[in-house]
Amino acid sequence: MKKEINVADQPWLGFSRIIQITVDGIRYRLFRASVTVAVIAVAVAFLMNILSESLIKRSVAQNTRDRIHRMRLIHNWSARLTSPGNPESLLDEFARSEVGSDMYREVAGMNGFDEAAMKEFHDHAGMAVSYLDFFNALDYAKRRNLIHTATGIGIFTRLMDKAAMKQFTEGMKNIRSVRFVSTYPELDAFLANWEGEQLKLKAVLDARVQAVAEIDAALAGRTIAEALADAEGAFGDTIRGAGFVFDAENIAGIIAEQAQSELDVTRIQESMDSYACKQAIARRENTLPADVNVVLMWQNVDSLRFAKEYLACMVEENEKAIAYQQKMKELDAAKPTEEATAATDKAEGKKDATEEKDKGTRLDVEGLTAERLATLAGARDEEASLIRAERLTVGAGEGFMGLGERLAWLLFVSLLVCGIGIANAMLMTVTERFTEIATLKCLGALDGFIMIMFVMESCFLGFVGGVIGAILGALIGLSRMLAAFGLNFAGAIPATDIILAIVASVVMGMLLAAFAAVLPSFKAARLAPMEAMRIE
Amino acid sequence: MAEHTDPQTDTGEGRVIIRTVGLKKSYVMKDVVTEALRGVDVEILTGEFISVMGPSGSGKSTFFNMIGALDSPTTGRVFIDEVDVAQLTAEELAYLRCHKIGYIFQSYNLIKYMTALENVTTPMAFGGVQPDAARERGMGLLDLVGLKDRWHHRPVEMSGGQQQRVAIARSLANNPSVLLCDEPTANLDLHTGQEILDILQRLNKEKGVTIICATHDHRMMDICDRLMWIRDGMIDRIARRDEVHVEVGGIGGMEE
Repeated sequence: MKKEINVADQPWLGFSRIIQITVDGIRYRLFRASVTVAVIAVAVAFLMNILSESLIKRSVAQNTRDRIHRMRLIHNWSARLTSPGNPESLLDEFARSEVGSDMYREVAGMNGFDEAAMKEFHDHAGMAVSYLDFFNALDYAKRRNLIHTATGIGIFTRLMDKAAMKQFTEGMKNIRSVRFVSTYPELDAFLANWEGEQLKLKAVLDARVQAVAEIDAALAGRTIAEALADAEGAFGDTIRGAGFVFDAENIAGIIAEQAQSELDVTRIQESMDSYACKQAIARRENTLPADVNVVLMWQNVDSLRFAKEYLACMVEENEKAIAYQQKMKELDAAKPTEEATAATDKAEGKKDATEEKDKGTRLDVEGLTAERLATLAGARDEEASLIRAERLTVGAGEGFMGLGERLAWLLFVSLLVCGIGIANAMLMTVTERFTEIATLKCLGALDGFIMIMFVMESCFLGFVGGVIGAILGALIGLSRMLAAFGLNFAGAIPATDIILAIVASVVMGMLLAAFAAVLPSFKAARLAPMEAMRIE
Repeated sequence: MAEHTDPQTDTGEGRVIIRTVGLKKSYVMKDVVTEALRGVDVEILTGEFISVMGPSGSGKSTFFNMIGALDSPTTGRVFIDEVDVAQLTAEELAYLRCHKIGYIFQSYNLIKYMTALENVTTPMAFGGVQPDAARERGMGLLDLVGLKDRWHHRPVEMSGGQQQRVAIARSLANNPSVLLCDEPTANLDLHTGQEILDILQRLNKEKGVTIICATHDHRMMDICDRLMWIRDGMIDRIARRDEVHVEVGGIGGMEE
């Protein structure tokens, strides 16, 4: 007899049909769904806001470091070209420079070290710096106990003595609170090589002294800034000739420009000696000329219109001064003649009368334009904003995911609260749909289908909420950071990172929603159909 | 089990499609144990129209759920076409519910966010029927219950009778062998209830679908083959319709 009922495994429902059923379900309960979406959106917005702000902060910090480094190139090079430095600073500078960097090549070039010698020297410099850091971090009593009064590389010289080494190791045994940065055998090995390395260091220092002397000779009375204004030309060759690695393509132009700016700034600031110039600013600021200072001057010169006015004032002052000097010269020339004594007396009186008012101030205005004034004032603004940004981004990029511990904790709590909120919403949705679940199971739905339906619904809500939240959070973060740092840093916004963060946040929102839905939907799927109906 | 089985039907209309052996079900709520079914043995034959009657709380619905594989018995067994339901995996149970049993509920239980047609085609989708074929068959079924022109309406846009008719169409989606109706006319007025009954009768006579109907509706007695009374979780009595008609005067008393 043929059986009428042959039981087989239920096939899987097509994916598109699951999606359709899920979406229809969401559309039917649009209000509840939108509340859930709002919960997810708020949480994801919070996450994204923090993420984007920390990303921007980190990027701005890097940007600021680079720009400040660039800005201070002139100072660094002025210092390097005029002072040979001491052994410790040289060691430090060399140890922190990477293999193949300018500094590394410079040391090799100045001394003719071969590759092996360089590598050895670099390694030892690194160790020496770490030892010196260790000793410098000690407090006075410990330091005196361990190495007496030795400082700098003198410490190594001292430790090479057996007795001193013994004093050091014995002393370390008694100090529990400090751990030695390395091991004693390592220190011994280092000290064994130190004599040779010290000779190298001395050679480097000597070469540097030599090079600085060459530069000093080439200055020929000019200030270093004046000389550096010609960094792209003959002076650049002199620098390279002295053995410095001076990048003609990248650095020379910047340094020349910065040197020129420095000279111009000095020239413009000299106008503060002029009463008339001070007066011009005092008029604009409605204050007393005596209260006008350099800062106020730069603030005002920022406007191109006033810069023109101010420059005219400077030119006038200069012309006055030239005219006055001319007149003085004439008077001086006339003075010795006897017959003109009366005239001189008259002129002296005249001189006294004109002196205060028409003396003028000798100002070097050659080549200065109003645009130049405004640009230099703008550069000062930029410098100020850089310094502010540097202060605001202190510690950026530290801690968990570069967020800092407090933010990471806040984030964790917000995600937790959001997760519970979604779980609650899903639990309610599931409970309210017990009849529907039971009916679907009566119609032949698999447990897996019920679960997938709910998890997918949750994922979908998570996705929508995630997208809304991520974009909202990113926009808020972006505007807040722009407000904090100014448009000056618009270029430092890490667009790729932020888009990645948006994607990550959306995925995060989806995962969170999916996870929150797993338990309720699992519970719902496992119910026998009639149990589910009875609960309702 | 033999004591409750009518020997005449046993040899007559068909073979046994549903058989229960010592079916017991008890619900535990905290310390109180409620016995809903206390040993039910029954055999139902193919092509039969059987009415299950009994007062509220008699275990009627529980029995109904047991034989529909919607709930598991505490002890005892349910055989659907000689297949022990307790032995089936979740997937096989789903297949059984989808293909072999059609369910009609007192409260219709249509999916609220689906149109009439979607409601009817959903079990077909679960059963793996292609969308186009499912749509065509769904329209045919809606035509059968007289709702062809309302296929795109959602449950909220239809009356109770119409919803129940959609539910009937849905229960027939995969040509089930057994139709389980849990008080299909309870929420409907006399006229609409009659319409539903007519449809059920037609299905039974024309298509030979086995129908098991839990009901309070006395009109059901006119169309069913056998009647079964359940009282206090036990089978009180099973009788063929013509036998009941003979004792028509006493029915009121028996029914309470």
